[in-house]
Amino acid sequence: MIRVEDLTVRYPGRRQPALSRVTLALRDGETVLLLGPSGCGKSTLALALSGLIPNSLEVDFSGRVLVDGVDTREADVAALSQRVGVVFQDPDAQFVMLDVESELAFGLENLRTPPAEIDRRIDAALSAADLAGRRYDKVWQLSGGQKQRVALAALLAMQPQTLVFDEPTANLDPIGAREVFAQIAALKQAGRHTLVIIEHRLDALMHLVDRVIVMGQQGRIIADGSPRQVFDEHFERLQRLGVWMPQVSALAHRLGVCLTPVTLDEADELLRSRSRSADRLPARKTALASAPPFSSPGSSSDVSPDAPPDSLALCARNLSFRYGQRVALDHVDLRVPRHDFLAIVGANGAGKTTLAGCLAGVLTPPPGAVFVNGVDITSLSAQALARQVGFVFQNPEHQFVTDTVADELRFSLRRSELPGAEIERRVEEMLARFRLAQYADANPFTLSFGEKRRLSVATMLMRDQEILILDEPTFGQDQHTAGELMALLRALHAEGRTIVIVTHDMALVAEHACHVAVMREGRVVWHGPTRRLFAQPDILTQARLDLPPLARLARGLGFNALTIHDFCAVAGGVEREAAPAPTQATH
Amino acid sequence: MHVSTTVVTATHAQGLAGLNPLSKIAAVLPAMLFIALTTDAWAPLAIAGLATLTLIVFGRVSLARLFRALAPAMFIVVGFLLLYPLVARRELVAGTPVVAELGGLVIHQGALMLGLTAGLRIFAFVALTMIFNLTTDAHDFARALVQQARLPYRAGYAAMAALRFAPLLRHELSVIRAAHRLRGLGDAGSLRDRLDMFWRTAVPLLASAIRRAERAALAMDGRAFGAYPTRTDLRRVRFTRRDVAFVAGFWLMLALLLIALWQFGLLGPLAFVQRV
Repeated sequence: MIRVEDLTVRYPGRRQPALSRVTLALRDGETVLLLGPSGCGKSTLALALSGLIPNSLEVDFSGRVLVDGVDTREADVAALSQRVGVVFQDPDAQFVMLDVESELAFGLENLRTPPAEIDRRIDAALSAADLAGRRYDKVWQLSGGQKQRVALAALLAMQPQTLVFDEPTANLDPIGAREVFAQIAALKQAGRHTLVIIEHRLDALMHLVDRVIVMGQQGRIIADGSPRQVFDEHFERLQRLGVWMPQVSALAHRLGVCLTPVTLDEADELLRSRSRSADRLPARKTALASAPPFSSPGSSSDVSPDAPPDSLALCARNLSFRYGQRVALDHVDLRVPRHDFLAIVGANGAGKTTLAGCLAGVLTPPPGAVFVNGVDITSLSAQALARQVGFVFQNPEHQFVTDTVADELRFSLRRSELPGAEIERRVEEMLARFRLAQYADANPFTLSFGEKRRLSVATMLMRDQEILILDEPTFGQDQHTAGELMALLRALHAEGRTIVIVTHDMALVAEHACHVAVMREGRVVWHGPTRRLFAQPDILTQARLDLPPLARLARGLGFNALTIHDFCAVAGGVEREAAPAPTQATH
Repeated sequence: MHVSTTVVTATHAQGLAGLNPLSKIAAVLPAMLFIALTTDAWAPLAIAGLATLTLIVFGRVSLARLFRALAPAMFIVVGFLLLYPLVARRELVAGTPVVAELGGLVIHQGALMLGLTAGLRIFAFVALTMIFNLTTDAHDFARALVQQARLPYRAGYAAMAALRFAPLLRHELSVIRAAHRLRGLGDAGSLRDRLDMFWRTAVPLLASAIRRAERAALAMDGRAFGAYPTRTDLRRVRFTRRDVAFVAGFWLMLALLLIALWQFGLLGPLAFVQRV
């Protein structure tokens, strides 16, 4: 049992508190989902529940947190670590040791547990985390999903009552995420633990959640209740705040359903009953199933990789690339026609970022392997390349080289031949278009994450680049900033630019990409229209990918749909014919 | 000291990798000290040979890896051999025979010998450190320091955690550099630009290093690191018979080599008895 009473936390040097007057009680055995826009204090609350705030981090702290009746400020580290454990987002940042066994032993050794007991507990924790047989593996050899399970096992060995998961799947590929969710499900089923989960891939998780707590600006709790209650009563508010919600709930809302489903099963049931009442689904189903392969929203033209070579924006021919001994790209062929919206997907370490880097000239590919608008990239000058291709790194901070937002934009044009007045005009235009005008004189590092991302995209469009390549553009963002960025990319695509994104987010791929290149172990194993990919589950499985939640829902119902838009086309049509008054929101 | 019921040695490794890291240091330390004292080429050559042979026989290191590790030292030997005739003090080598004359440059045998000696001393030193470097897991070393050399465990384990950062930060640095190159920073050569570039790279790198360190510290605190003044160890790095045999054997070989050199008058004057 954890009680939080009137807790306010402020980080030194910040004016706004990270948590404001939070009061809540976590009952034993409960599974709680913690939601909120980025920067709302979710992680701070996680650290406060475990006592790491204020014991390990210097903060202004008022109110109190009681873990099993003991104030965390008075409890000692040893006792707290056996009551609350935290699995952090970045698997690499939370390991101390190099092999699995030592990693699991670490906490117990700190507690002065006798070696024989450590040995026993390691075995138990490994089998609980489905890692039996991995005891002597090196941590760096494990996949992302396995690493997170090692982090979990290391906590389980210490036998805490409460486990806090702070975005445990943010760095993982879809299958890795699924492994972690399966693990959480197993914990839930065992019923011994109180689980607190911060996460935004919600559809795979909702059936486990008993309670949802939503935090708003400055770490205030704005909703607390059962999932259905929260998503039903607060839908608009959560949407406005930019909180990630289950896709099925968003779908139901769009369809104008009164009782919001929160899990895939509920949505399945609901849509079945609606289709029974209307009995028109089969006709629609065939219409969608036979939809042309390029009908994915966002596709503005019938670009195809089979287009003649001179219409290709980017082309890789038999491209291999290695880092020292390690082969990152193994004879890759990829043809990206102009005006394409391509998503490069694949497991962690499959070579996605390396491929994107080679296409953008961030890495130097061998001559004769990469062509930009038909010209060998190795024969282009840095200037010529910069005029044609923009590349946005996963961490926007890495690209900042000046002290103000406006200078950041000017810098992109400093080697151009443009007259000063023209440069200023473009800077103004970009500041306005990317809604950064009010920050023109601010230091780029002081912007919010979403603003930083917008700025890094803007700097890459200053020379009117036709090709824009983005590495994990929505990583670490809330629904609001992610949606905003994707809308921006769609607008750029509609202007005729070629967009290439590297991503793990299958829902994003389903919604925006015209084509998908699937990578596995340094090779492009599949390349084609988005819709066709999601009709081939075996390819997805081999590449450690997954169907997006709505596609899975549709498959269960027996038709092909990938996005909310598709569902509206099917179910909305049903609705119109069943009840003449159109109830659903239009796109 | 804690006496445990299930004592397991830290590694299942064979050869040098299976030894206690401290015993490897103990074995090579006298040889290193001796090299510091030698002024002739033969003793370093013999010790370099002993170290290399030890690595080949007991190291379980592939010859390619061994070669890569020793290549820079070999390069230094050749470099010194070429360099010394140019820079050696004239009066030190004037009495020795002339080997060659290239234009105005007179190359004395003494100069070559000085260069060879200096190079071989460095090579022998490097070869000795490789007995440790190539075969020791950094974590085993830290464990041994904590368990046997009584290093406070907080320092030892903090160092271990820090060791994990090096490759991550190196990767991050290369990403930042790539990002900056893409923006066009770093293609100018003036000192000011370079300073600017250094600064622009250092800020994000430092910020990320601090973030990482903070996260690691939280993860360690969350698992009761530092809760008590002592901790138990699942695996003890022990000092076994194999360690004793290795240290004694290495010392014996060293002694035999040096005695043999002395017998043949090849040991040369040692630094502390040398009069120049």
